[in-house]
Amino acid sequence: MALTQALTIGIDIGGTKVAAGVVDPEGNILDRLRRDTPTKDPRETEDAIAEIVHDLESRHDVIAVGIGAAGFVDGTRSSVLFAPHLAWRHEPLRDAVERRLGLPVVVENDANAAAWSEWRFGGGQGESHLVCVTLGTGIGGAILNDGALQRGKFGIAGEFGHMQVVPGGHRCECGNRGCWEQYASGNALTREARELALSGSPVAHNLLRAADGDPRKINGPMVTELAKDGDPVAVELLEDVGRWLGIGLANLAAALDPGTFVIGGGVSDAGELLLAPAREAFKRTLTGRGFRPEARIVRAVLGPEAGMVGAADLAREEATWLRRVRVKTTAVTAKTAARSGRSTRLERAARKSVGRRTGMRTAAPDPERELQDETEV
Amino acid sequence: MGLSIGIDVGGTKIAAGVVGADGKIGARAQRDTPADSTDETAQAICDAAAELIKEHEVEAVGIGAAGFVSSDRSTVLFAPNLAWRDEPLGRRVSEVLKVPVVVENDANAAAWGEFAFGAAKNVEHMVCVTVGTGIGGGVVIEGELLRGAHGVAAELGHMRVVPGGHRCGCGGRGCWEQYASGRALVREARAQAESGSLAAAQMLSVCGITDSAELTGPMITEAAAAGDPCAVELLDDLGRWLGEGLASIATLFDPSTIVIGGGVSAAKELLLKSAQVAFEKNLPAKANRPHPSFGLAELGNDAGIIGAADLARRPAGR
Ligand SMILES: [Zn+2]
Ligand SMILES: [Zn+2]
Repeated sequence: MALTQALTIGIDIGGTKVAAGVVDPEGNILDRLRRDTPTKDPRETEDAIAEIVHDLESRHDVIAVGIGAAGFVDGTRSSVLFAPHLAWRHEPLRDAVERRLGLPVVVENDANAAAWSEWRFGGGQGESHLVCVTLGTGIGGAILNDGALQRGKFGIAGEFGHMQVVPGGHRCECGNRGCWEQYASGNALTREARELALSGSPVAHNLLRAADGDPRKINGPMVTELAKDGDPVAVELLEDVGRWLGIGLANLAAALDPGTFVIGGGVSDAGELLLAPAREAFKRTLTGRGFRPEARIVRAVLGPEAGMVGAADLAREEATWLRRVRVKTTAVTAKTAARSGRSTRLERAARKSVGRRTGMRTAAPDPERELQDETEV
Repeated sequence: MGLSIGIDVGGTKIAAGVVGADGKIGARAQRDTPADSTDETAQAICDAAAELIKEHEVEAVGIGAAGFVSSDRSTVLFAPNLAWRDEPLGRRVSEVLKVPVVVENDANAAAWGEFAFGAAKNVEHMVCVTVGTGIGGGVVIEGELLRGAHGVAAELGHMRVVPGGHRCGCGGRGCWEQYASGRALVREARAQAESGSLAAAQMLSVCGITDSAELTGPMITEAAAAGDPCAVELLDDLGRWLGEGLASIATLFDPSTIVIGGGVSAAKELLLKSAQVAFEKNLPAKANRPHPSFGLAELGNDAGIIGAADLARRPAGR
């Protein structure tokens, strides 16, 4: 089997669910598994990951595993510094999982993984300056320049959701007030809808009915469904979120000047009900408007599985690279190296360069060249 | 790398210098910026450069100009304080001087100067804000200047920080530079004086003036340095806006170093201290992430000249 045809597993670790899939080089998902996230304990999460991988491995020949996790992933992409929904603090996830699986593992921020797949297979194909915004409960962000994920110095660039847009605004779980994700996310949509219903306003009648009369049961998808059916209040609620989305995008355009914004995540299911007001607000807020080229704002096309596909594809990139290097040098196989939990100097070098390739730069150092350098030493 | 010329086109002055590979400025030339004629401005730029080219062998000229510069580094798309609209400045100047000319956004040039030779030497991920009348931004990622898809990235001063806030020359409202720049400092000082505050009256007398319309940024900084409480407070407020904005910017770029330059940074600790406190306080998830270092620019007013000259020597501007 040619390596370029090899399959990899992508795993998306959310606050409540672990979703995994076997992904081919074209980004097709061949097999899927879903588990509840067992507890917040890191060991048990590792157990769940290992179980899922063994299960999928029994039916498919896979060469690597990519894990997308909500949180700060460090610059070497081996540790999760901080995850808002899990009890991970400086968790050396990559090495721990590699040891258990005997397969190369890549750990990536979930929004970065989703952006990578949109660039490879989705709404961002061919865009040299891409910014992806994932609207879930919060806001995830990613920057891709010339097909390279921009991770920043410590691996935590692109945390757009915590850019402040309202001084002294709503409290945010990051510890601040007025973060963008308090105004343009699924949580914001739900909060506003519930508040409206709680106010007892008759305009919220349809909303309340959809939630069996209990304002606390109102959620984002409910609002979106009602809006699609033409309920004027639901349309307005999405308009408000869309407007905040456009205002934040204008800030990002001032700072990053992308060619395209791809908007994904659950809230983007609302489509034009969200994006039309976002574009309007963007155009009205953008600095120097009328005197500069403007970015396109489009919807993501890969849906909720973008993160899984992206993590799998990033794992393939890295594994393909590592094997090419290894096959030519030492007898150390991927499995024994991984089991030992140690990596050779060459592997570390290769990892670093592929990290740069899928991370910081387009042009990777030539593998042959790297080999020479290693043998000369 | 040989010598190149860097030119900083400001609102009142055009400052040029011959810059060596070590980032040091040798000879200098200066012209007044003509009031509103783009032709005369281009001519003045050519004059200043020609004066230096007569005496020095230079391989390229870099022009730093406030405004949106096209990604091929030749055309000024839009300048807020000059009458340039789609002005092919690089080509025009190059035709006269017969040397390669690149045009850079002035804040990008200053950031590059600090990255190549100043406060952020060899720092691969840095953000530089130039706090003058407004706020200019420059961002270096992995050792390369961030330009964006159209060449107009890092306009950090025009990120909106206050919904429905003060009007801005860019056409927006509530832009950061309306709260954390020299213009904001003077506006707030005058407003306080006009409110009849005794503290402000005292500040005016420390500044040696009676009419608040005569207040300038440097006057306020001097008064603060002399310990005037009103001036100290004004700079403190400015620093807070600066630090809060920088915390948002750090979430986008995750830099290891943040550099603050420009005229207002002459206030040094009076500004930096409150900026840093606000920055540390507002950094999201601050307990669970590395914090960038925070410092003042080192090259002063020369950052733009040095940066533009150095960028002119680099074919891809990296
Ligand atoms: Zn936040
Ligand atoms: Zn503005």
